[in-house]
Amino acid sequence: MSEIVIDPISLEISWNGLKSIADECFISIMRSAFSTNVKERHDHSTAIADAQGRLVVQAEMALPIHLASMRGLTKFILDRYGSDIHPGDVFIANDPHVAGGTHLPDINMAMPVFEGARLIGFVANIIHHADVGGAAVGSMSGGLNEIYKEGLRIPIMRLYSRGVLDQDLLTLLLLNMRLEEERRGDLNAQIAACKLGVARLEDMLREHGGDRISAIFSEVIARTEKRMRKAIASLPDGVYAFTDYMDDDGAGTDDIKIAVKIEKTGDRILFDFEGSDPQVPGNFNMVFNATQSAVCYALKALLDPNVPNNQGIFDAIEIKAPLASFVNCIAPAAVALRANSCQRVVDCVFGALAEQVPDRVVAGTNGANTSAVFAGIDPRTAQLYVYLETLGGGMGARATFDGKDGVQVNITNTSNLPVEAIELEYPLRVEEYSLIENTGGAGRFRGGLGIRRTIRPIGHVCEFNGVGERFVHKPWGLFGGEDGATGRFYIRSDAGQVTELAAKACCVRLEPDAVAVLETAGAGGYGPPAERGAAAVQEDLASGKFSEEFVKRYYPKAS
Amino acid sequence: MLQQNSSRQNWVVGVDVGGTFTDFSARDLTTGRVLIHKRPSTPDDPSRAVLHGLRELTEKYEIDPGAITRFAHGTTVATNALLQRKGARVALVTTKGFRDLVEIGRQVRPHIYDLQLDAPRPLASRALRFEIDERIGPTGEVVRELADTSIDALVAQLRKQPEIEGVAVCLIFSFLNPSHEKRIAAALREAFPNVFVSVSSEVQPEFREFERFSTTLINAFLQPEVGRYMNRLKLEVGTVAPNAEFGIFQSSGGLMSVDRAAQFPVRTALSGPAAGAVGAAGAGAMSDIPDIITLDIGGTSTDVCLIQAGKTAIASTRDISGFRIRLPMVDIHTVGAGGGSIARLGSDGLLKVGPESAGAVPGPACYRRGGTLPTVSDANVILGRLPVTLTGGGMTIDRDLAVKAVAPTASELGLSVEKAALGIVGIVTSNMVRAIRAVTIERGYDPRKFVLMPFGGAGGLHAADVARSIGIKRIIVPHAPGILCAEGLIMSDLQEDFVASCRVRVGGDMGTAANVVADLVKQGEGWLAQEGEGALENRLVLSLDMRYVGQNYELAVEVASGSGAPALPAAEELRAAFFAAYLRAYGHYDQQAPIEIVNIRLRTIAKLPQSQSATENPVRKLAPSDTKDVWFDEAGPVPTLMFDRSGLPVGTAIKGPAIITQLDSTTVIPPWAQITVDAALNMIMEIDNV
Repeated sequence: MSEIVIDPISLEISWNGLKSIADECFISIMRSAFSTNVKERHDHSTAIADAQGRLVVQAEMALPIHLASMRGLTKFILDRYGSDIHPGDVFIANDPHVAGGTHLPDINMAMPVFEGARLIGFVANIIHHADVGGAAVGSMSGGLNEIYKEGLRIPIMRLYSRGVLDQDLLTLLLLNMRLEEERRGDLNAQIAACKLGVARLEDMLREHGGDRISAIFSEVIARTEKRMRKAIASLPDGVYAFTDYMDDDGAGTDDIKIAVKIEKTGDRILFDFEGSDPQVPGNFNMVFNATQSAVCYALKALLDPNVPNNQGIFDAIEIKAPLASFVNCIAPAAVALRANSCQRVVDCVFGALAEQVPDRVVAGTNGANTSAVFAGIDPRTAQLYVYLETLGGGMGARATFDGKDGVQVNITNTSNLPVEAIELEYPLRVEEYSLIENTGGAGRFRGGLGIRRTIRPIGHVCEFNGVGERFVHKPWGLFGGEDGATGRFYIRSDAGQVTELAAKACCVRLEPDAVAVLETAGAGGYGPPAERGAAAVQEDLASGKFSEEFVKRYYPKAS
Repeated sequence: MLQQNSSRQNWVVGVDVGGTFTDFSARDLTTGRVLIHKRPSTPDDPSRAVLHGLRELTEKYEIDPGAITRFAHGTTVATNALLQRKGARVALVTTKGFRDLVEIGRQVRPHIYDLQLDAPRPLASRALRFEIDERIGPTGEVVRELADTSIDALVAQLRKQPEIEGVAVCLIFSFLNPSHEKRIAAALREAFPNVFVSVSSEVQPEFREFERFSTTLINAFLQPEVGRYMNRLKLEVGTVAPNAEFGIFQSSGGLMSVDRAAQFPVRTALSGPAAGAVGAAGAGAMSDIPDIITLDIGGTSTDVCLIQAGKTAIASTRDISGFRIRLPMVDIHTVGAGGGSIARLGSDGLLKVGPESAGAVPGPACYRRGGTLPTVSDANVILGRLPVTLTGGGMTIDRDLAVKAVAPTASELGLSVEKAALGIVGIVTSNMVRAIRAVTIERGYDPRKFVLMPFGGAGGLHAADVARSIGIKRIIVPHAPGILCAEGLIMSDLQEDFVASCRVRVGGDMGTAANVVADLVKQGEGWLAQEGEGALENRLVLSLDMRYVGQNYELAVEVASGSGAPALPAAEELRAAFFAAYLRAYGHYDQQAPIEIVNIRLRTIAKLPQSQSATENPVRKLAPSDTKDVWFDEAGPVPTLMFDRSGLPVGTAIKGPAIITQLDSTTVIPPWAQITVDAALNMIMEIDNV
């Protein structure tokens, strides 16, 4: 390609410009989308890719799990359409098996940028749509055992062809999704963000020209790879392994094994998932892109948290995962809840490298993407409502401080919905939102506490679908730290009757005289409890985060 | 200047306390005469510098202290207390089930990839967070009664904690029905007369409980410290200027009484920077420039604010030091890019500038205070843009130390020190441009339609580069860029914001909304009667937070403004106003989708007596003091004239390259720009088309 050399100063300045474009697109979606999931929880991402489909820049607030999806999308567009890509085209896709996605609710869009007839790159974005059809409201329920049940599969298609909307396609899409108006609003936000990004990139093209922009893209990627490799080289050479288990897939398979072996030599690192279980019937499988996102997240967080998110990271990391396994599934595997599995992959990578980076590693986390969907007919309006929430839990303890209580961990960092927003919007009452006593594993530094959220339907019967993890396999402690507590879901009637629910709770009837209680896992401790300072133990007690009994048991000397 | 008859003097004094300097600006309302003064701040007790400076000011200019009628104060006491976490020992009282809400917050980490970075611990420890059995529902209905016995039990619990200085009372849905909060607050105030009580329905009666609770808790945390400071200052300043009415500058851009500041100290969290923005709007008005982007460049950071039609943009939420505040605040966007920002090579081999800063100590290498790392100021010295001797002579600059600091980075890049310095300045410029994009393009404004106003010590050094990078054609450099905050203080009015949550469909039955407006107007008029004494004119501004039904994100839309009581406009008018705001923010709008009102806001302003400033016009233009070699681009240095601003009278025109110095700031005019001095003594810089 071009021989243009970009000096390190101009490159930094142009890079800033590219980041601004991705950020502006991100904010544009956040503001103009219709769904709460985007506006309040920011469950979306934006990026720019080059003419080869390589990811160049991701928005500052973009999500790690979306990283590989956007890259997957542009690759598939190029494979499928080759030279048949034109100005004004907008591509849409969501399918994990044939279109680079990681689960169906994440609808990808991309729009090409041209200089004359020459393709320069793509502007891409993703929104997690609150529903894409399928067997269950919200398209994220546990227990679905093939992708057809999870919602509408969209291969790579042109939503706009040379600037003209394919109304038939849009009609088909909207017909297959619940909450049509919200979907339309969110899709429009994505389209607008594509057009905005393309216009901004065209401005930059006018200033720099295509050759120079392409050279900038390549240089950004090359420098990122170099930076990542430098960080990898700082790890001691060797072979490190770790194994953890998912509780179950909600469809009859328990104790799903994820095994990773890391071979590190010089500035090369290979993650080999040989020995992981085969893909499962339930919808926790990961396509390769999802596994790759998780591995990249883990390594970046451990080695160099500020390394930019682009193709350069993928290029620096080799991953082997057996085909048709849990970590590299094939059609028609169901995948909706893969975020939970990604969380566990991150925990596995942390576990494997703990001895090598003891100062930066985190003990076992709540390791889930606990989600709860409440749906029903609002008695005030006779309209269907769907309320989706994801809950944080304990974060693992670290070398120099306790794990954070009640927080999103690893690859997810979505906000909760305000209690008052929920109750104004939905016929539900939140009766408790708190940290759960004794759920952080004891240690020199203790693990974080899980979260309890208690919800009651008001004046109607609603349906509850929940997905929990680490209800069986505890968040592990490190270097002598104790394991954290597991999570659980249950229904408590006003008469005091408690009904335990499955970790993958599907289509549970919830009456107004009962509450659903959602409890997430805590997290593991770091270092032997005997080494915990007396002041810290006193604080554990005084704060009420730990009981006297717990303190006596784990810190007999300090109490 | 003629000797004034002291009985006819009528002085307004503005005092802005910054980290390094305490700035004074005084204006005689009778003559318009303006005086300025500066002295080092006294961070351990900021009131000392205020008091000393005030005495120096009156003595130096022979001001009759008795003729000071207004004393307007911008303070960083609250900001520093938050940054250093030095505030009261506070307790929190909340609805049963929600003791941990302020700790969980929005359950997010500050940085998704940084495993070691946590949100700060809540200001009230868990042991001091108490639950009480009660519940209000989403229509304001009482779901669970609050029993008197529960209040008694709470009081008994608090009695066991004698060291508590403040309590925040924060109940779910209290903004819809404050009765439970009121009962609890009354009981606490009675039982603990020496404890400060902050109530969420008084501090910020708006929906979204975490933001409301957090703001209220911060208020409680600040109350004792800020209250003591305010009362002490009022007493001490009273001994010097016994006739001065006191005004404290609030983050939303107006003055409030000392009593209100002591009651709602959280409103002063952004006092200083907000005053700068108001000063900028005032300076722009003098040159008939209403649409401005401010560029306040200090040692460690740059503040940017959008001013449209003379009004500063307002934001509703901001994190300070990791603590969330939801209140109307002048919308200032801050980036870690300033004169002290450190340049270094990143691990990707690229040159990075900031956010790490050399701060005031050790500071940039060129200032000879022991700094050795290359900074933006060092780069400016190397390029000849920051003169080695500043006017006023207070600070000497060592070019050799600057070169020594930049040399290692330059050799790593394989560049000369000058070219490396150009790179440092270029990158800090691009960081500032990102900040400007954030307040303009990302919010639907075209920056090219605005005039850039640099201030602070280093604003004028970078303004031309920044303007050119983002396509801005005009720059206004105010007459006194170094004390714009103090200037903003003396031109400010008394202001108070009222808000009520009110969820109503536009076009449906809007009776409730009309009632809420009437109630807010009543509160506003009550405030005007009480606090607005001596005001020339009142102004009431009604705005509504509106959104499409189903959205969870509101736009604040101003719908009525005037000296009389505003009424709720008709639905069609509201719709049109909302569409216009939506179109600007998002580039599109939906004419069909239903719209709802979420909050109703009333801002009341008591206009205080002002006067045009009569800044003294220099008698004649002074010749350039010197010619120096200055680097503007890679082509190499060009001979550049150096002017002293005090020698540039109205009408002066200078074609770049030139450098203009004054007391505490420097303005660079590159070869592709020129300035004229306008009637207000502001310099207007025009950028050539390139």
